[in-house]
Amino acid sequence: MYTVKRLPFYALALATFAFASCESEDPVMENEEEVITDVTLSFTELNATGDPIGTKISFKASDPQGIELGTAPTIEPVNLIKGKTYRMEITVANAIANEDITSEILAEGDAHQFYFLGTAFVGSPPLTIAYDDASGQLIGLRTKVTVAASPGFNNATMRVILRHDLNKSYPGANNPNFQNYEQAGGESDLDINFPLVIN
Amino acid sequence: MKIKYSALLLLLFALQAQLSFGQKCDLSIRGKIIHLENNEPIIGAYVWIAESNTGAASDENGNFFIKDLCPGMYNLTIQYLGHKEIKETIDLTTGPLNKTFRMEEESMELSGVEIHGHREAVQTTTSVSSLYGEALLETRGENLGESLKRIAGVTTFSTGNSISKPVIHGMHSNRIMILNNGIRLEGQQWGAEHAPEIDPFIADEITVIKGAETVRFGPEAMGGVILVTPAALPTKKESLTNIHLLGATNGQMGNISATHSSGSDKIKGLGYRVQGSAKRAGNIKSPDYYQGNTGLSEYSASAAVGYSSAKLGVEGYYSFFNTTLGILKDSHTGNLDDLENIIANGRPFSDPGFTYDITNPKQVVTHHLAKLKSHYHLSDRWKLNFQYGFQFNNRQEYDKRRGDLNERPSLDLELYTNTIDLFADHTHINEFSGTWGINLIQQANSNIPGTGVTPLIPNYDMMNAGIYMMEKYSKGSLELEVGLRFDIRSISTARYVQSVLEEADLNYQNFSAFLGGLYQLSPRVTFSSNLGSAWRAPNVNELFSQGLHHGAAAVEFGDPDLDSEKSFKWVNEIAYDGEKTHWELTAYTNQIQDYIYLNPTGETYVSLRGTFNVYEYLQADAFFYGFDLSGSYEFTDKISGYAKGSIIRAKNTEADNYFPFIPSDRMDWGMSFEFGKKQQTNKLTLSNMLVARQNREPDYDLAPAPPGYSLINLGYQRQFPIGNDKLNIGLQVQNLLNSSYKEYMNRFRYFTDDIGRNIMLKINYQF
Repeated sequence: MYTVKRLPFYALALATFAFASCESEDPVMENEEEVITDVTLSFTELNATGDPIGTKISFKASDPQGIELGTAPTIEPVNLIKGKTYRMEITVANAIANEDITSEILAEGDAHQFYFLGTAFVGSPPLTIAYDDASGQLIGLRTKVTVAASPGFNNATMRVILRHDLNKSYPGANNPNFQNYEQAGGESDLDINFPLVIN
Repeated sequence: MKIKYSALLLLLFALQAQLSFGQKCDLSIRGKIIHLENNEPIIGAYVWIAESNTGAASDENGNFFIKDLCPGMYNLTIQYLGHKEIKETIDLTTGPLNKTFRMEEESMELSGVEIHGHREAVQTTTSVSSLYGEALLETRGENLGESLKRIAGVTTFSTGNSISKPVIHGMHSNRIMILNNGIRLEGQQWGAEHAPEIDPFIADEITVIKGAETVRFGPEAMGGVILVTPAALPTKKESLTNIHLLGATNGQMGNISATHSSGSDKIKGLGYRVQGSAKRAGNIKSPDYYQGNTGLSEYSASAAVGYSSAKLGVEGYYSFFNTTLGILKDSHTGNLDDLENIIANGRPFSDPGFTYDITNPKQVVTHHLAKLKSHYHLSDRWKLNFQYGFQFNNRQEYDKRRGDLNERPSLDLELYTNTIDLFADHTHINEFSGTWGINLIQQANSNIPGTGVTPLIPNYDMMNAGIYMMEKYSKGSLELEVGLRFDIRSISTARYVQSVLEEADLNYQNFSAFLGGLYQLSPRVTFSSNLGSAWRAPNVNELFSQGLHHGAAAVEFGDPDLDSEKSFKWVNEIAYDGEKTHWELTAYTNQIQDYIYLNPTGETYVSLRGTFNVYEYLQADAFFYGFDLSGSYEFTDKISGYAKGSIIRAKNTEADNYFPFIPSDRMDWGMSFEFGKKQQTNKLTLSNMLVARQNREPDYDLAPAPPGYSLINLGYQRQFPIGNDKLNIGLQVQNLLNSSYKEYMNRFRYFTDDIGRNIMLKINYQF
């Protein structure tokens, strides 16, 4: 009975011990692995038979700090030449974690798709675009872009949207200029407005 | 202040009325007889008044009532087997008497005296409502938040159908407190989408205290307290097993729970209980479509062992809770554009059909709680109590990400909490009783590395020490209670943001107090009033949040300079307990200084991902007030009706605008029909839930408040006694008409309709 009576005191001693031994861990630096910091559109001119000619020209959108810290991204205007056809390749990277996200998008090609909207593709459009992925899937990492010979207007906007987790078989989702892309479900991983200048 | 004075006047009038009729022989003695040592009611104690030759026996709540007494002095005797007789001279010259009598157990020498359990009752002068017995049985299969919606003044703040947080008088999360078997539940309660980590099946009774109870339970209880209390442990060998089997059509939910308790033959006073439950559900169906990825999988277990003798009581308790919750796929939006598109659509873009599979986004939460509780009777008057609680909470939130990152949580938090309570209860034959104590809380929160995301909140250590005292005075029809408390709290935080180590040390201290009273206006009418102050130190998320909230397409920023919130809550309740009519009206005001809220700044951030809203934590003075009404009436012995409703008004008194997510006006009313033989009760209840549109909207919201709605629910309950065993069968149909609606307090109202028709079958067997 004597020991039972002292039980609360033992418990108190135990609890004091537990108190002293429980501290939070030291913080660890996290690599921002999800953030996209650089998106590059690379254009290579194609000849009449569809073979690449000339040198690659690239235009980049970058946001070195990711979403949380509020400096607006830097977006280079896209300069293209009238009447020419280009192969456009998109590369996506995370400079913080030094990671190439393009290959991840390609690997998850069934869950990702680029859409190209904005005034550049509307009305009598300065640009026409078609999916041209090497894998044959409709992803948009590689596309064929044709610049009108005499565009009705200049200084258009080329909006590049990357959708994730969408229903690719939704009616209309196979159109690279699908206006109602949101109806196919999923969410936007990228949404960038590139200014377009046609020379 | 006007309201306060008029209530006082009312009280004075009532007193006057009692005095002026004092000469007639219509006085009464209304009393309650409880055990001195544990405040449990004593049933069947005999009360005798020598002068008038009248007597009474105490009922199942320990109450007795002797009426038709003339003014004068009387000698009262109270007797109960195994307890010391109480002889008291009582004064009925000025009015009726209402008094609590505490009976002391006689020494154990008397053979054949049973040792009773040591369960604590909540003794407070503020408004208290409980769910137990049949009412609790009806809630089985629901989560804690949903269950508590049955109490007037309690609503939920929910994220879809599986995550619901209880809201008491417009307050939730860190402004209310949940006690799991006496230990304050410490999870990551700051998050709007973080459900309480508790299995309602552990409860034998769920109690809601609507007053500010900071003094008794510690900081943060400014809106109220929820006590989830298991049954008392048996103190002798009496085996009881309770099995619940439940199924629901919506989400194809299955739920099983079993509890077994018994005691020991050899060691007097030794008892134990084991309990376990499991729940599985798939995609929820709104009337027109399935909600993608809304399944859940949950399992939990608990065990308790206790020993009690006349002087000593010891109890050990452990509970484990694990849940995996799917989060509606469409609520995970990429940017503001996505969010606006889905709001404009009014429903998800996808309809994936039914599945039990849970994919990202999802939450996986584990909670362990262990406690050791002990009390020792130092003397007849003094009882020393000690309670130690240990809790470990792990919260993992998985987002929709790319590749291998999908396997890794984007939020991974481990929270350790130690709590120590040491307090002394003292009771006296005369009018005083009280509690003095100290309370220590220590907490360590760590982000588990490897998420690939800068943590939303930093790692931190928190220490809180409180010292308090409460005294209760009861005389005649009046009970008065006063309490004081002082707390100090220190928090130190550390986190890397953009490879810079950010550290902070913060200290808070506060004084809180309450004053409460209960007055029996007549044998049937009770009035209580409680004025309590409360405080809450700003939470770590309010101080240091920095990150993207996918569901709101928002970047949220904390403010390390926030002050503590301080509140004054005044709760008044008047209750009428008639033969056929019962009703209760609660009215309250809550004045909060430096109320912390998340405010849209109106700015947006543009990134490669698109545009996001920017929110910041601000503070302003707030004023809440409201009413809860609940009542029932028995038309015949077969037909009865009930109604309950609540009204809340909350305003930012500095900016003169409204806060978001304050419950709209609502009422629930219904009729019950009982039929069948006496032993096999059948009860059919048809009810209607009416919810008004929230017209007091904040200046900015992503979408306007949804329209009001009306739901029809149907319930059938049947009890079969099988020998000494008991079988309960319940059938409930919720949203009988399969109406499409959206609830303002559900954060998923932006994305989807609420749950459609749900038919539930509940089988309970007790043996």
